[in-house]
Amino acid sequence: MNTYHKKALPLVLSAMLLGGCAVNETATVAVDGNNKQQILESNSGFLAASLEIADTKVGYAGDLMKAQVTIKNGSRSDLNFHYKFKWLDKDDFEIAIDGRPWTPLSITAYESKTVQAIAPNPTAKSFRILVQD
Amino acid sequence: MKQFKTLAVVLMALVLAACSTGPKVSYGDATAVETTTTGFGSTDLQTIAATLVDDLLSFPPIVQMTANSRPVVFVDKIKNKTTEHIDTESITDSVQTKLLKSGKFRFVDMTAVKAVQEQLNFQMESGMVDPAKAVAFGRQTGAEFMLHGNLSSIVKRNSGTQDVYYKFTLKLVNLESGIMEWAGEKEIRKTGEKTFFSL
Repeated sequence: MNTYHKKALPLVLSAMLLGGCAVNETATVAVDGNNKQQILESNSGFLAASLEIADTKVGYAGDLMKAQVTIKNGSRSDLNFHYKFKWLDKDDFEIAIDGRPWTPLSITAYESKTVQAIAPNPTAKSFRILVQD
Repeated sequence: MKQFKTLAVVLMALVLAACSTGPKVSYGDATAVETTTTGFGSTDLQTIAATLVDDLLSFPPIVQMTANSRPVVFVDKIKNKTTEHIDTESITDSVQTKLLKSGKFRFVDMTAVKAVQEQLNFQMESGMVDPAKAVAFGRQTGAEFMLHGNLSSIVKRNSGTQDVYYKFTLKLVNLESGIMEWAGEKEIRKTGEKTFFSL
């Protein structure tokens, strides 16, 4: 190994480590109040390819909208990621911005998990679920 | 040529010095998952508040009770039974704000009783406020329900791992009948492992 390689190897390894820590991808699913529309918006390759929205349900607790999303890990490896619900009113204005935290979730290979949330107030008419790793 | 090189080095040093003055400060997402240590953190607080508010607002008897009225609630202190110093009032503040914004509950603020009393005394006794426009004594609404609870933890550790388990319990009690109308629990488990880099 010459001097150049001796110097380059730690640099490449450090870059790979830093690159591995900096992955931050977000995928979004939008569902309207009639549970008709599902749009997968994604700027990520990895999560969108590994995760699948198996089912979405919308119901009401009194006049508060409640949402249930079944997320399936379609990959052969365990996935650790974060999800967050966003609530929108009839004009698609977001309600209670930053009202819900990013929540950690682990799904083992080929397993499905269900997540639920209740709207912050009765004006919510649709929701979005965001995922990021 | 040598002078040119020296000048270039000095200029580079000056540019670097100008860039590196003071600590690097940046704003982050307040709702992002925080895993700095296994201690109680912002993610725990936000997750507890969101989970318990969802649980309370979707409990069928509460849905029925709040369908046509907005019950008045007061928040008692949350007992901190952990070994950490945790501001439990911050958790109940978040719960209270979310419940208030849902439009389903109203609250009496027991943390401001002294200030309210002083203001009422000022209005009635100082002689500076028009008696016709002063707020009358004895007209406040009494709370119908009380929110109270506990935060406890179990901490276990060995040479390489620390495991922390938190349990937050919140209860809604009817003050007139003494009946507990609702109770919610949120459990959190956090594990910290010593890694090669943290040694």
